Amino acid sequence: MRRRILAVAALSVAGLTLAACSSDGAEGAEEDQSTPDGPITLDYWAWGTAQQPMVEAWNEAHPDVQVVHTDAGGGGDSSAKLVTATRAENAPDVAIVEYNTLPAMIVAGVAADISEYTGDLENEYAPGVWSQATFDGASYGVPQDAGPMALTYNQARFDELGVEVPTTWAEFAEAAEAVREADPDTYITTFAPAEFGGFAGLAQQAGAEWWTVEGDTWTVGIDSDASLEVADYWQDLIDRDLVLAEPLLTPEWNAALNAGEILSWPAGLWAAGVLNGIAEPMAGDWAMAPLPQWEEGNPSVAFQGGSAVVVTTSAEYPEIAAEFAAWMGASDEAAAIQIEQGQYPASLAGQELTLESDPPLLMPQQEDYWAVAAEIAANTVPEISWGPNVNVASSAFQDAMSAAVQNGTPLREALATTHEAVVEDMETAGFTVATD
Amino acid sequence: MATSTVSPLTRPLPTAAARLGPPARPRRIWPSLVLLIGALYCLVPVAWVVIASTKSNSELFTTFTFAPGSGLLDNLRDLFSYGGGQFAQWALNSLIFAGFGSVACTLISTMAGFALAKYTFPGRQIVFYAILGGVLLPGITLAIPQYLLMSEIGLAGSYWSVLLPSLISPFGIYLARVYAGAAVPSETMEAARIDGAGDARVFSAIALPMLVPGMVTIFLLQFVSIWNNFLLPFIMLSDERMYPLTVGLYTLLSKGSGTPSLYSLAIIGAAVAIIPLVVMMLVLQRYWRLDLISGGLKG
Amino acid sequence: MSAEIAAAPPDRARRRPRSRWVAPYTFLLPAGILFIAFLAIPMVYALYLSFRGLRVTGDGPFGVQEETWVGLSNYVATFTDPEFLAGFGRLAIYGAIAVPVTLGLALTFALLLDLPRVRGARFARTAIFIPYAVPGVIASLLWGFLYLPSTSPANWLLGQLGLPELTVLDGGILFGSVANIAIWSGVGFNMIIIYTSLRGIPGDVYEAARIDGASEWDIAYRIKIPLVGPALVLTGLFALIGTLQVYGEPTTLRPMTNAISQTWVPLMKIYRDAFVRDDLSLAAASSVVLALGTLVLSVLLLRITQKRTFGES
Repeated sequence: MRRRILAVAALSVAGLTLAACSSDGAEGAEEDQSTPDGPITLDYWAWGTAQQPMVEAWNEAHPDVQVVHTDAGGGGDSSAKLVTATRAENAPDVAIVEYNTLPAMIVAGVAADISEYTGDLENEYAPGVWSQATFDGASYGVPQDAGPMALTYNQARFDELGVEVPTTWAEFAEAAEAVREADPDTYITTFAPAEFGGFAGLAQQAGAEWWTVEGDTWTVGIDSDASLEVADYWQDLIDRDLVLAEPLLTPEWNAALNAGEILSWPAGLWAAGVLNGIAEPMAGDWAMAPLPQWEEGNPSVAFQGGSAVVVTTSAEYPEIAAEFAAWMGASDEAAAIQIEQGQYPASLAGQELTLESDPPLLMPQQEDYWAVAAEIAANTVPEISWGPNVNVASSAFQDAMSAAVQNGTPLREALATTHEAVVEDMETAGFTVATD
Repeated sequence: MATSTVSPLTRPLPTAAARLGPPARPRRIWPSLVLLIGALYCLVPVAWVVIASTKSNSELFTTFTFAPGSGLLDNLRDLFSYGGGQFAQWALNSLIFAGFGSVACTLISTMAGFALAKYTFPGRQIVFYAILGGVLLPGITLAIPQYLLMSEIGLAGSYWSVLLPSLISPFGIYLARVYAGAAVPSETMEAARIDGAGDARVFSAIALPMLVPGMVTIFLLQFVSIWNNFLLPFIMLSDERMYPLTVGLYTLLSKGSGTPSLYSLAIIGAAVAIIPLVVMMLVLQRYWRLDLISGGLKG
Repeated sequence: MSAEIAAAPPDRARRRPRSRWVAPYTFLLPAGILFIAFLAIPMVYALYLSFRGLRVTGDGPFGVQEETWVGLSNYVATFTDPEFLAGFGRLAIYGAIAVPVTLGLALTFALLLDLPRVRGARFARTAIFIPYAVPGVIASLLWGFLYLPSTSPANWLLGQLGLPELTVLDGGILFGSVANIAIWSGVGFNMIIIYTSLRGIPGDVYEAARIDGASEWDIAYRIKIPLVGPALVLTGLFALIGTLQVYGEPTTLRPMTNAISQTWVPLMKIYRDAFVRDDLSLAAASSVVLALGTLVLSVLLLRITQKRTFGES
């Protein structure tokens, strides 16, 4: 069980020397970097419908580097498998990793520092996007898709009930009340207690920073005032029975959505694609608007979901693997396929490409869909950092929040429980955590 | 089982196979009724899978649960074209794992069970208790160490990593021991030995034919357990072309954020996946010798 | 497990030629190698892991992660985790429903099938057995659909009758709903075991009773049930082991309700520790505890019932 050493300081030094020219860096000496003679094969783990056609396009254009794509399960399953596979020295060369699990992948020695190969790739991305795969100056992945949060809503039903689409969260609460009055079977939205990523996004939009690191010391802000206020906001809506406090995307939820009894979903831009999968006949009824704001006039939103292409520490040819990762993340060809499959590209060029595309299948009538999306993407929270144990946070959060909703105890307390679990886990693992 | 068709008047009394009540009693309705309710309870969910497999993704959530949908052919086409024909590959993999695995496991278990039942040798009791202990271990607790060890020998991710651990079934050995103890008379073995047969010959020519019904049972139990196994292949395999059906269907339902679960595909896949197993059950049912399981406790 | 029914008598064994002495070991060899490789070694390895742990040492925000000896701290964590203990509590409730109902239904069906001249017995036997062929992943998915209010046919029926909806994935009924999946999958298998041993009883055993005018009920209660005692003990043992290892059903239902946590039963917690939290050592320690618990319970069950079922034999 060889554990990879991850001294970030050492890596950033390596990054600096290599930025000059990668001749004989400390890293390069370890593995033979000479280009192989025959065609080489890269193993690539990724989920989602966009990946296979993208890989095919790459393979066609690069006969010397053939990529074998494997669907190793969705986000959570895939990262769990990456960790075990790395430990067993079976990891693929390249893999997709969700932004919020990337730090855990770095700690577990899965993701390799690719700063020496990224060159000026950084310019292809908005700073907020690029920073999601960068830690302490070192790059660990090439962003591929981004999920800036928006409000996907059932426009037809909003119109029918005579409710305006809210632009602030205060208005959203009023609208929630109006919806309930207009139709007692209908809710404006769902508060799904297990949606860690969604809640984190809303808290980040309100200014919370769940993890920050300064030097060697981590600060955890899961129970910060900003997060607690977000919790209180939803608490109020739940207490007044203005939102549906149930899990998302269950057969039950899908049925209610199809019946027009759930009117909106604050989520990443990928929501349109997901909803289309379960409510295809509703195409034309739905639309997308910017996420309501906590403070009127402050349009910045956080991300929910989205992922980066990561070169693993097991890659035999990291340079070639990084080249593939860069193509998957930032090439126009790849972006075109992504858009076709309903993803929102992370690269600026890719996002520009969307403006020439048709709106998603769920909202063919919304001509300005991509323009609105571009505006949202331009206003994302500049720096979001995730901690090394998002997995622990996410699982503690899901259980604590579900129990709170189930038992009618305050969401605040659930957040505090999550906070404690995260700090305790980091301390057990030996991280330095600031006590506030 | 066929005795119930024999008329009570022509049946010689009393035979070992006799099952009939006194002729005076009329047929009762309530036993049939209770059994029918039980059958309904067991069949309704299966019927649901079949009906739901005819629905398109949105019909699944909008139409009445037991109302047939309009998407059967589309679903079938989608299922078999998904990922370039992956579903057929998964089915083939399941068949390979369960087929080879259960045949080999049956042979291995039978040999071991035969040895335990028909020979006295030092260490026999220890071996037997080790096997009983193996029956009681939860599979999930061994899956991770198994994976790490498989990786050590470079087999993780290969067909072997799923096949090899399925070859050992403590329960199969236990059954084989019980069955061999009851079905192979020591006198027959001894007679063959006096005629000069070696142990290998005694086993293959004398014991094996007597053990066939027990072997069919072990084969079926192991076939079903490999076919339905989820965790082991889920942990061992990372190449989806090697997935068995259970893992493949699971990946249809569990996608990352931003990708919808493919409910209708998973449901038609489930419907197609249980058909061969149900057919096999029905065909082989008559060979089941499950009484040998309970016979074991006396031994 | 006392008498070695058909083993060669010891006096003859002593006179066996050398080849016969080797034979049993040869027959056991393939099974032995596989047993050691895939059960014994992993078990020892799990035991080893349970005393190890990952700790961060060194500098930098992400530091250096190393595996070291941590003594009994994983076991302390296991036993002081209220969720792990609560998991056993939930398991007990679940088992208290699943085990008796599975066995009760299986015995009832088997006895009914064994009655003379029952219409539709063949059909029922096959139908009740079919769920055994349905993989757990699929069984839980389909029951999930049948449970959720808007896709549940039972609720549709209640709605037609003007009755209030029934929520089955919540509160106390939740245990019944989870147990129901296990019952559904398990009744047929257990029924066949009991039924086959009923068929193994010679029919003339009943004749005398019938001639004396005993009802079928008396025969079932006084003769059949005691005679299939061993089968019942065995199915009970399997049901108990199955209960301690329950994992798939609540895991598949979890995304559909707020009421099932990731640590709902002990195995779910073990899975979460190993795969979600990447804490293999803690998972190993909890596994060891669970495996030992299973062993102790099974031995206890066998001890108690053996005495009862077999008397002095």
